[in-house]
Amino acid sequence: MTIIGQKNASQANGAKHRGAPSLALIAAGLFTLAAAALPVAYLIRRALQIDSELLRTVLFRAKTLEIFITTISLVLAVVAFATLIGISIAWALSNVDLPGLALLRALVILPVAIPSYVFTYSWLSLGFLPNGFLAAVVVLTLTTTPYVTLAALAAFRRIDGAQLDVAQTLGLNQLESFFRVTFPQIRNAVGAGSLIVALYVLSDFGAVSLLGVDTFTRAIQNTYQGSFDRSSAALLALILVAISSLVIYFEISFRQRSTLLKSSVRITRRLPALRTLKSRAWALSAILLYIFVALLTPLLVLLQRFFSRITPIDLTELLIASLSTISVSLLGALIAMVLAIPVALLAVRETWIGRWSERAVLLVHALPGIVMGLALVSFGSEFPLIYQTTGLLAFAYSILFLARSVGSIRTSFAKVPINLTEIASTLGQTKSRIFYRVTLPLAAPGVLTGTLLVFLSAMKELPATLMLRPTGFETLATEIWNNTAIFRFSEAAPYALLLVAIAAIPTFLISRPDRDSERGELQ
Amino acid sequence: MTNSRLKALISLLSALFLTASLTACAGGENEDASLTIYSGRSQEFIEPFFAAFTEATGIELDVRYGDSAALAAQILEEGDNSPADLFLSQDAGALGAVAGAKLLASLDQSLLERVASNYRAPSKDWVAITGRARVLAYAPDRLAALPTSIDELIAENWKGRLAIAPTNSSFQAFITAMIQTRGEAATETWLRALQKNSPKLYEKNSLIVQAIDAGDVDAGLVNHYYTWEVAEELGREINVKNSFFSPEDLGNLVNVSGAGILRTSKQQSLASELIAFLLSDEEQARFVVDTHEYSIVLPELRPEGLPALNEIKAPRVDLANLSDLKRTQALLIKVGLL
Amino acid sequence: MTTLEIKDLGVHLGAREVLRNLNLTIPSGSFAALLGPSGCGKTTLLRTIAGLVRPSSGAIRFGKQLVSVSSLVLPPHKRNIGYLPQEGGLFPHLSVGENVGFALSKSISDLDRKSVIEEMLELVGLTGYTARKPHQLSGGQQTRVALARALAIRPAIVLLDEPFSNLDHALRAELSGEVVSLLKKSKTTSLMVTHDREDALVSADLIALMRDGHVVQSGTPEGVYMDPVSADIAESTGDILELPARRLMKKRAKLLSPLHLVSGETSGEIEAGSILIRPEEIRVHEKKAGLPTAKITQINYYGHDAVLELALPGYSKEIKVRVTGPVQFEVGKTVSLEHFGPIRWVSKNPTGE
Repeated sequence: MTIIGQKNASQANGAKHRGAPSLALIAAGLFTLAAAALPVAYLIRRALQIDSELLRTVLFRAKTLEIFITTISLVLAVVAFATLIGISIAWALSNVDLPGLALLRALVILPVAIPSYVFTYSWLSLGFLPNGFLAAVVVLTLTTTPYVTLAALAAFRRIDGAQLDVAQTLGLNQLESFFRVTFPQIRNAVGAGSLIVALYVLSDFGAVSLLGVDTFTRAIQNTYQGSFDRSSAALLALILVAISSLVIYFEISFRQRSTLLKSSVRITRRLPALRTLKSRAWALSAILLYIFVALLTPLLVLLQRFFSRITPIDLTELLIASLSTISVSLLGALIAMVLAIPVALLAVRETWIGRWSERAVLLVHALPGIVMGLALVSFGSEFPLIYQTTGLLAFAYSILFLARSVGSIRTSFAKVPINLTEIASTLGQTKSRIFYRVTLPLAAPGVLTGTLLVFLSAMKELPATLMLRPTGFETLATEIWNNTAIFRFSEAAPYALLLVAIAAIPTFLISRPDRDSERGELQ
Repeated sequence: MTNSRLKALISLLSALFLTASLTACAGGENEDASLTIYSGRSQEFIEPFFAAFTEATGIELDVRYGDSAALAAQILEEGDNSPADLFLSQDAGALGAVAGAKLLASLDQSLLERVASNYRAPSKDWVAITGRARVLAYAPDRLAALPTSIDELIAENWKGRLAIAPTNSSFQAFITAMIQTRGEAATETWLRALQKNSPKLYEKNSLIVQAIDAGDVDAGLVNHYYTWEVAEELGREINVKNSFFSPEDLGNLVNVSGAGILRTSKQQSLASELIAFLLSDEEQARFVVDTHEYSIVLPELRPEGLPALNEIKAPRVDLANLSDLKRTQALLIKVGLL
Repeated sequence: MTTLEIKDLGVHLGAREVLRNLNLTIPSGSFAALLGPSGCGKTTLLRTIAGLVRPSSGAIRFGKQLVSVSSLVLPPHKRNIGYLPQEGGLFPHLSVGENVGFALSKSISDLDRKSVIEEMLELVGLTGYTARKPHQLSGGQQTRVALARALAIRPAIVLLDEPFSNLDHALRAELSGEVVSLLKKSKTTSLMVTHDREDALVSADLIALMRDGHVVQSGTPEGVYMDPVSADIAESTGDILELPARRLMKKRAKLLSPLHLVSGETSGEIEAGSILIRPEEIRVHEKKAGLPTAKITQINYYGHDAVLELALPGYSKEIKVRVTGPVQFEVGKTVSLEHFGPIRWVSKNPTGE
């Protein structure tokens, strides 16, 4: 008979009924932390090589301040608009009786499948985008709104319609009941979605470079390409990291100590659906407008370019590029899942290492692909065996986009009711068996969503791919780039269309509500 | 997810993984007769030349396409561990940066002597392959009097009519040449005057030509072949023509694409062969016809509709020094164009 | 055959002491009920026995096996107990059959597993439900499946935390009866936390009464019902009436209370205190001489019996009296009350606890 002792019993019983994490779990979490820290370590090493004079010039010149202001304004503007539009769309989809709800839901999420550079190109070729900064706000808002929409939709699903009934009987009108009853319950989820938007904007390069907006990513790129001064570039990248840590800090303090630990909300009634013709018409037009602007327009432009081609399509190249894209992105997604699960588990238990791993992962998410690429070039070229292999590329993807899966996975683990794991323990299951037989199957939908998100992002990735791929290995994204670099936009069109088509599949899967966990909640 | 479904998923994924890892090592097969090239020249244009080389010599080429500057940054980052044998760059700046880090090997004298002295590195580690002339692209119906000097572009009547691409390496090379010949102070004066004239800024040369065609701007400083490129892409005639400045004006700067062999390469003789191939008369002539560029070796050849290289009278500029873009960038930033 | 023995158990949750010096012994094979107000620590006690909470002092023994001593514990998955929490807790992603067979060892053959599952389902009256999913079952059916799941491994001890509380009244009684008889038949040592006083009295062999983390009294249902140690404890098992009283400390003690009128001598040592009376221990008569009177203020008619509320002079609150059979009086009538049953004296200044 083995007895497990512990010095401070009362502490063990505190509030953390989940128990202390095992050594293996902590080791896994540390590994992920180290992997996420790799690019930051690279940046620090390079930045330390800078001489103090140049350091002062870069840090304190007026241009840097300008870039700082532009970047911050862009982030604030896009986050504000994306959040507003995202919540509105999600609200309309959850509260208004609309026809073809499933289709609409998929269509509003689909813009996420279009890479920002493809999006910008199609809008540029239409010719009526306003000046650089505004154009960037528009483009980035349209492409990132789905992250907020997705989060808000999931949050709306967890609200008990009965509460709104009560609010009405207490005299609150629609707007008031939204702000006083609904919003407090969705703010955490929406906050997480907005965080992804903010970090995305910080790391985006495609749109801002094409539109000539002076953000940090563009400055970093210019510094690398212009002066090949990797130290200054690394310094700028570190400033970017500092900004993203601020953003993350804000999101964490904004997030209420959520009551996610027990899925105690019994949904007794679905949200009431507005049925008046006026509200249905308004909601439908708003949603259709968004779909038209964010999805249909770029697709139509791509199609037009596609049909104006004169040279025949090389189907073999298309097929190879597609298979390469899918295989390496899928691999990256799976590695991300394996890295994310220990971090998510540790974060749910609110341990020190879990919190910091999650934050480190988020931090890395704001880094532009070129930084990640160079960091892994610097690290990987020391090991010829793994350098420029699909394995290393997949690993790069997993670190780049780990943040997207960690959030989703953590939420789904947190939603597994504690009493179920306790019961499993009384039914003779060891901790690891509980994880595989109860926690993981119940959290599976969330884990799948997170993994799909990484898969999707990896497919669109460009700068790191260009640097880390094996020579001769082309993905759909690199093929697009190959052609648009020489202004062959119509040559790029088939690859762009295929990328969007393939990316649409995981996007569609992500947009569907997960029915299994819903059933659990509706008991 | 049930157990059986999970198992099926795992086997599918392992299969995918295996395929992926197998395709990764595809490059390492013919260790003996293959070259790894980092090419800043785009696949569309340079691939036929590579194919011809392979057919003629039987040497396999593993080409990694990318942006010249990004590839240079990658080579710099890789340092001595770089798997590249040859670096083919679209401009002298990137080559110079790699050369400056002492990563290139000395080239054979025979190669160096194929080109005129100002088209090869004094450090003897890189050589130009093709020429790319700076021109003024313009809309003939909106620009009656063609400027003969870049100094005319800062005059009042040019306000708001000129397009430039300050982030583009060829523009920066042009400014670097100006610093070289006129000094930093004079260049700053010129740039400030230009800035006061509200030039339209674009990211890419191709976008400038497109804009001229669309009527958004009257003229722009670009490389000579973009006019041809954009017309090809759009599949029609465009309302844009190229114009050169008076002889030896800085506006006629000829930049070059070039190649260098990595010092750590184990295939230096094969790489030399490739450079020799690209500098051969037949291939140089092909460059003029197929990619619409200038031949460095045969400066008398003219791309369609353009004067020959020896007719342009480019300014005397030390191309190798065009790689020092630090000062140029700092200046552009100071003036507010970058 | 396992006795559940708990000695001097102390449990802290955070800084709060939730259980203190708790002693309880449940003989092997008996069914025990744990009664107490909300917050007294019943659930914590159950969870500690299950191994989900770590005690800070005391010992728990299952038969001869020491399961926890001070803060050294045997982890829950090694304790071989059955635990039914309040929410039932069926695994939503598994079918009924998979839920029931969840704890069965991987090493037993498929055939054996199947037969155990079927046997368990039959035991709880849900034969044929193997393939159903939990969300397709009613509340009562879910509780039964949870029970089947807990019993499938033939645990030595079963712990139930108000398992019937979210069922409607009639179903609760029926299911409770079934479950109790099942557990008794299989001679499983069981401990059930319940709010339902009547259910506890009916089903249990042993009743334990908890207050503030401590078992104040335990014994047979009749024992605790008839001999509660205090008014507060008495409340746990049924309605109680506490009347202020005085008794004369003489060889033959005489009692004076609003219900007991002793005429004459009031000299000698008098001790003040109160007496505890159950509602059924007072008989109602037509107004009679020599008996205290009271006025009926309300009649609560339950069909099989009725509870009369009366205003008793000398006592500020209404007292409740239970009568069976048809009610012969109306509201407003003055009647006589006679106390039948034991005198349970509670001193005013109790010595110790």
